Amino acid sequence: MIEKAIEAKDLAKVFGGLAAVDGVSLEVAAGERRVLIGPNGAGKTTLFHCITGTLHPTRGSVSLFGRDVTREPEHRRTALGMGRTFQITNVFADLTLVENLALAIVGTDRRKWVLHRKVENYPDVRSQALEGLEAVGLADRAFVPVRLVSYGERRQLELALALNTRPKVLFLDEPCAGLSPSERLRIARMIAALPRDITVVMIEHDMDVALGLADRVTVLHQGKVILEGAPEAVRANAEVRDVYFGHG
Amino acid sequence: MLTGAVLQAVNGISLAALLFLLASGFTLSFGLMRVVNMAHGAYYLLGGYVGLSVAQKTGSFTLAILGGGAAIAVIGFFIDRFLIRRTGENHLAQVLLTVGVAFVMGDVALHFWGGDNLKVPVPMFLRGAVELPGGLYYPSFRFALILFGIAAGLALWVLYRRTQIGAVVRAGVDDREQVNATGINVDRLFVLVSALASFLAGMAGVVGGAFLTLYPGAEWEILVYALVVVIVGGLGSLEGAMIGALIVGLLDAYGRWLLPEFSYFVLFGPIAVLMLFRPRGLFGREH
Amino acid sequence: MSAPRALFILIAVVAAIALPYVGGPFWTGLVTQMYIFGLLALSVDLLLGQAGLFSLTHASFFAVSAYTVAILQVRYGVPTVLAAPAGILAGSLLGLVFGLSVRTRGVYFILITIAFGYVIWGVAVRWSSFTGGDNGVTNVPFPSVGGFEIASHTQYYYLVLAVIVLCGLGYRVLIRSPFGLGLRGIKGSETRMKSLGYRTDMHLYAAFVLSAAIASLAGVLYVYYNRFVNPVASSFPISVEAALMAIVGGTGTIVGPFIGAGVVLGLRNWVSSFFEMHHAIMGAVFIATVLWAPDGLVGLAGRLRSRFSKKK
Repeated sequence: MIEKAIEAKDLAKVFGGLAAVDGVSLEVAAGERRVLIGPNGAGKTTLFHCITGTLHPTRGSVSLFGRDVTREPEHRRTALGMGRTFQITNVFADLTLVENLALAIVGTDRRKWVLHRKVENYPDVRSQALEGLEAVGLADRAFVPVRLVSYGERRQLELALALNTRPKVLFLDEPCAGLSPSERLRIARMIAALPRDITVVMIEHDMDVALGLADRVTVLHQGKVILEGAPEAVRANAEVRDVYFGHG
Repeated sequence: MLTGAVLQAVNGISLAALLFLLASGFTLSFGLMRVVNMAHGAYYLLGGYVGLSVAQKTGSFTLAILGGGAAIAVIGFFIDRFLIRRTGENHLAQVLLTVGVAFVMGDVALHFWGGDNLKVPVPMFLRGAVELPGGLYYPSFRFALILFGIAAGLALWVLYRRTQIGAVVRAGVDDREQVNATGINVDRLFVLVSALASFLAGMAGVVGGAFLTLYPGAEWEILVYALVVVIVGGLGSLEGAMIGALIVGLLDAYGRWLLPEFSYFVLFGPIAVLMLFRPRGLFGREH
Repeated sequence: MSAPRALFILIAVVAAIALPYVGGPFWTGLVTQMYIFGLLALSVDLLLGQAGLFSLTHASFFAVSAYTVAILQVRYGVPTVLAAPAGILAGSLLGLVFGLSVRTRGVYFILITIAFGYVIWGVAVRWSSFTGGDNGVTNVPFPSVGGFEIASHTQYYYLVLAVIVLCGLGYRVLIRSPFGLGLRGIKGSETRMKSLGYRTDMHLYAAFVLSAAIASLAGVLYVYYNRFVNPVASSFPISVEAALMAIVGGTGTIVGPFIGAGVVLGLRNWVSSFFEMHHAIMGAVFIATVLWAPDGLVGLAGRLRSRFSKKK
């Protein structure tokens, strides 16, 4: 029996009269690479928000490795192993890259409450932060404030932040959005190289990137799952083509 | 005891009427223009003083109200255009700037009208008392204020909920960009709402000056009450300002009657409760 | 540390120590006030510059602490060694209660802190049987611990200076700690912090209580300097000025609030000698700061420095 990393049952999120997510059920196996695709407004990011706890779903449940986390606040879910990146880059602009990573590293750690010792007194945090930056190729910008760093580099930082919260399940929301082709390739390679003890769920607009990385693909349209299956099957499916290229 | 309770209820409602005049402008300014105007209390005080001078010169209370309101509408326009506009949506900057403006206005008022408690003369036909059910006599002016407050509230409500312009303002409160996109001149709308808010504040000063009197410091005391109204009712909500004003007015009246040394404390209660259960106020929304 | 910076610090230290002998009682008194209000401004800046919360209620903690010390010492003869800590405790306890306000953000937070501040002011004015009403509590003695008694303003100046230096050093550790970094993270992006595992509400609450404690310490120093306390100490202008001092001097720094206190108090002192409308002047300073120097004097100095270094 393969372990379920994420099990979402009948998730829905209603804003005013509009159901952004309309009864979505999802099961992601441990170690799997799942890609969510769908046209703009399909509800992909909202679904992520419901699973990671950024938003309260109107109904439905979420389980992480068999544990019901529907009532747990976002920070608890992170401590239990959910990591995520945001579609709109959400990093700490006034802090240096190394400080950004330090926050991620200490976020699920008791040490975040220490107020009587300087951060410098924790050399392991600093070395971990530098390693984390090295892994995404940003080590040479470590002491630069994020404000002065390019968009592509911020997207890399976004990924590094999520990776450094020791996630068991990683939710990536359009990690390649707004990047140049070479930057996209770099990020795609990084994601492909992630170890299989991290489960990856990714929203991606770019069909090629998505289908290259995925074990399974889930297609969302107007808040509902319209198809789920192997990448090739999804690519060939007529309804999906309609949704994307016909009316999408 | 019962007559005492009824008396305080009427006191509370008359204060609520005054607070509504002040708070409604403040809350709509925020709802539509995202402006926090801490000089609203100073608008009240200066409007009251101007109205007082007008009443003294002309003997007409009506002219005093119109004069006070108009003066503040004009002053408010300039402050808005040349100062508040420069702060964008930076609330911290707005607060500091408008507090600064209020300090300046306060000192200017002090210079021209002095530091004594001044009372705007009540019109002849409103001096005296009305008889309330139960044999209670109540100052006619304050009673008239309640009627005036209800009338103003109704007028604003109709304007807000039942007219074309009101619909546009409400849409703007909900989503400013969308209104902009439809081609309606949002700027002109802002000027209108802002002028109305200033006018109401100035007018409130004249009315308040007739029974609460005008003195240095009054601008902050009344502002705090208006702030509590807006916190309780929710920023941006006209209905919230009405309900909030009633709650604050009644709490204040009963608080002063039952616990005079702790009357501010009594206001603190609902805020604390709200903090625990509904931080956005009764009718507030997520912005 | 760079040579110019070390020199600057040395000069500042020497000047601070020499002041009472060079400046006489007027300057000693004024600079003591700058230290005290600078500390109050620092407490506001812990929330503003570090966490991004604009609190306008800090005069409440300042005053509650001052009143506690005054009432204990004057009315109940409690010695300084107990009265001073009691003052800090009282203000901090109020901080625990007012800290409820961190359940809100942005404008609501600002408005609620204003309202809270008025509650305390109202109590100070109206509960006259306990607080002395408009007259407040007078005849507060100089502090004395054990056999050691402060006997002059000059001695008190050095005491305050020592306390300020210690506070400054402690504050420096605080803002460089993981907790301090966390506050700056929350200021940058609260949503990001939550998704990184931080319980932001608790973080902000802790910061609020800490800042209330610092403001309370300032209140203790204040009441022993002033030798009396009245409702003015809890008034809205005090809270606003504390915030202004932090902003004028430069938020997010340690010396900024103190520099700001120096500027604001110095300016008021100078202007009130020939112009009675000092509230209007304060107002003008607020307006000018917002429009032209939003990152304060420290920020201005930084910009000038980078402009000069570009010219090289």
